[in-house]
Amino acid sequence: MHIIPYYSLLAALLLSLLAAAACVHQAWEGRSKVLPWVENAQIVICTLVTISSFFLLWAFYVKDFSLLYVSRYSDLTLPLFYRLTAFWAGQAGSMLFWAWLVVICGTIILFTKRYRLLGGQTRVFFWIFFLGIQAFFMYLLTGHQNPFMEISPAPLDGQGLNPLLQHPGMIIHPPTLFIGYAGFTIPACLALACWITGEKQSWIQIAHNWTLTAWIFLSGGIIIGGWWAYLELGWGGYWAWDPVENASLIPWLSATAFLHTAIVGQGRKALGKTNVLLMVLTLVLCFMATYLVRSGVIDSLHAFGDGGVGNPLMLFMMFSMVVTALVLFFGPARDDRPLSGLASRQGLLVVTAWVFLTLGLVVLMGTFWPVISKLWTENPMGLDAGFYNRVCLPLFAVIGAILVICPWIQWKEGVRHGKWLAVLAGIWLALGVLLWINGIRMPLALVGASAGLAMVVSIVMLFILDPSLRRRRTAWGAYGVHLGVALMFLGVAISGPYKVEAEAVLAPGESMTIQDYTITYVGMETWSTPAMMVFASRLEVSRDGKVIGELAPQRRSYRTWDRPHAKIDTRFSLGVELYATLLGFTEDEIISLKMSTQPLVNWIWIGCVILCLVGFVALRTSKGKVRETEAGADASIA
Amino acid sequence: MQKKKNSRTVYIVALALFLVGFGTLLMAGLKQNSIYFLNVSEALAMPAEDIQQIRLFGTVAGDGLVFDPQHMGVRFMLADSDDASQRIPVQYRGVVPDLFEPGAEVILEGGYLIQEGVFNAKTLMTKCPSKYEAENRPG
Repeated sequence: MHIIPYYSLLAALLLSLLAAAACVHQAWEGRSKVLPWVENAQIVICTLVTISSFFLLWAFYVKDFSLLYVSRYSDLTLPLFYRLTAFWAGQAGSMLFWAWLVVICGTIILFTKRYRLLGGQTRVFFWIFFLGIQAFFMYLLTGHQNPFMEISPAPLDGQGLNPLLQHPGMIIHPPTLFIGYAGFTIPACLALACWITGEKQSWIQIAHNWTLTAWIFLSGGIIIGGWWAYLELGWGGYWAWDPVENASLIPWLSATAFLHTAIVGQGRKALGKTNVLLMVLTLVLCFMATYLVRSGVIDSLHAFGDGGVGNPLMLFMMFSMVVTALVLFFGPARDDRPLSGLASRQGLLVVTAWVFLTLGLVVLMGTFWPVISKLWTENPMGLDAGFYNRVCLPLFAVIGAILVICPWIQWKEGVRHGKWLAVLAGIWLALGVLLWINGIRMPLALVGASAGLAMVVSIVMLFILDPSLRRRRTAWGAYGVHLGVALMFLGVAISGPYKVEAEAVLAPGESMTIQDYTITYVGMETWSTPAMMVFASRLEVSRDGKVIGELAPQRRSYRTWDRPHAKIDTRFSLGVELYATLLGFTEDEIISLKMSTQPLVNWIWIGCVILCLVGFVALRTSKGKVRETEAGADASIA
Repeated sequence: MQKKKNSRTVYIVALALFLVGFGTLLMAGLKQNSIYFLNVSEALAMPAEDIQQIRLFGTVAGDGLVFDPQHMGVRFMLADSDDASQRIPVQYRGVVPDLFEPGAEVILEGGYLIQEGVFNAKTLMTKCPSKYEAENRPG
């Protein structure tokens, strides 16, 4: 039974290697006769990996605990939804899931019109790179990361899924990240292939939808992770600059830099090498993220075991970078057009990309600091969260400022609607003053929040002033994404620095106050389900003597998990959200309670939803041939 | 070509300015926010006055665990994750996380109080029981 999925993966490995070898041979000969065969091989590989993946899903469905992986991440009481999604709860399964997505992407591209328009040689080179990556995945899955290991005798029940992970956020978070990671594979291979063959078509155009979709999923995945941390971990924050969080942020920063240099590179043959490099770098950084999380190289809050993937991943990344360097330096020369001046929109785009790359470098360096510092100190030095806040937040503030101004700058220097830009500057200043009066006085928070608000005003003004913008779908997409970003700016700038926390020990009937809220503890309720015991406290929230709501933070003891687990409760608000964690309780119902107020925190999630949904509007259809520089100019308001 | 040269110079100057500003920021950050990341045996090997602000990694020992009755703090022995004979007494005031228990791997931030002979933890974090490595509980 478990032989089939394993051998499917093995067959996929052999077929990938074989097809890649055939492509190398053809490239050497300068022909492309083998293409139809290779394309069919890809479909077969896709079928094989799909068979394996369905096997794993089926094993979870029928509770087949003879599979080690299934017994580790599920048990008899786990609901079906969590049983199926436990597919990616563990290391080997998530690797299989990622590989499956890569294989599917490689199959989808076969049927796209843009792929058909590529020259034969370009396609051959594309498959060399793509099949190589695919083979690497299959190599991991059939070796270190085999999800089809068996235990004998099969246990009667599994170990269950960690309750922390039984949350919708944690179910959506990994697959969205992996869709992002997998999606970058196609543009990176296209970039290298087109660069080598000097393809007439712009690879940036061909890969546009892939890049954008991958970026949207990666953005969404990262924020969902933050949302999960906020709702599930109970410490009242969403981002701790933990190595594992940083891991997925690094490729996102490089991808975001690329999105902005791509606009410059598209249609006007500028920044050619930069774009190829950034795209491949983004893909390599996705592997770097996995390396960080899986290799145990950095001690983080997440106790990840080393499944022996560290070294192969490291070698793979190094090899990829060497290949890219060879392609760029020894490949055919391409003439780049010079850039316009720095004060043009193009110039600002380049500056934006610099800032994003710098941020990526800071986060990468900071995360690896314990390793780097070993070069000169015996005891490893690390960097705390304060470091990232000190170094990264000013850079984000710079990005915020550019975002407000950039849409008003012409493509080749000069300002449009100068009079209105002055009005906008006035509004920005007024917003700043308004925030100041309302007690937002930390410089960074003030700049970030006022820039966030000014961005919203700026975008609305432009759409009113410029009818041509309203007619272009790409403009709606691009400006919409930045509207989401603006709201996230606002949320991040205010919620972090202006959070208030209070802790108290309360007997029934007692109250505590936090800011202008009074929290009264009414009493405890307990009940049990087959999977857990629930101890819920009832809290009454009042303000100015009026009861405005209830909170019921709980502690749960799961049957398969011997530790109690806090389930926080919040009182949703677009202004100040109340956040309650039940830290503990005694037999005579005395509770220790942690309360915090989270101003504007929900705007982060709202902004993210807008960013993700509107981002898809910017996708291009094959019939809507985009007018290059014009659309480029508008797809690039930051 | 003249124009190309000019615009390139402007870019290079701007990049240099940006890097100088950023470099200053980075240096300040590295200076102020850099702390030792030590496990218990490394910390014990250092002179006590040098461990005023460190991040300490270790495992909660099974004995000597005293909870504040109201759960607003805990005193315990922190053992080295590889060598359980190396131990440091720890005191912590504040919220004790859910997953704190003997055998849990924890990360502390704080400093060593030489007079009391105890490590005073300002923050106590338990490692997320990772979704990638299930615990080895008798199943």
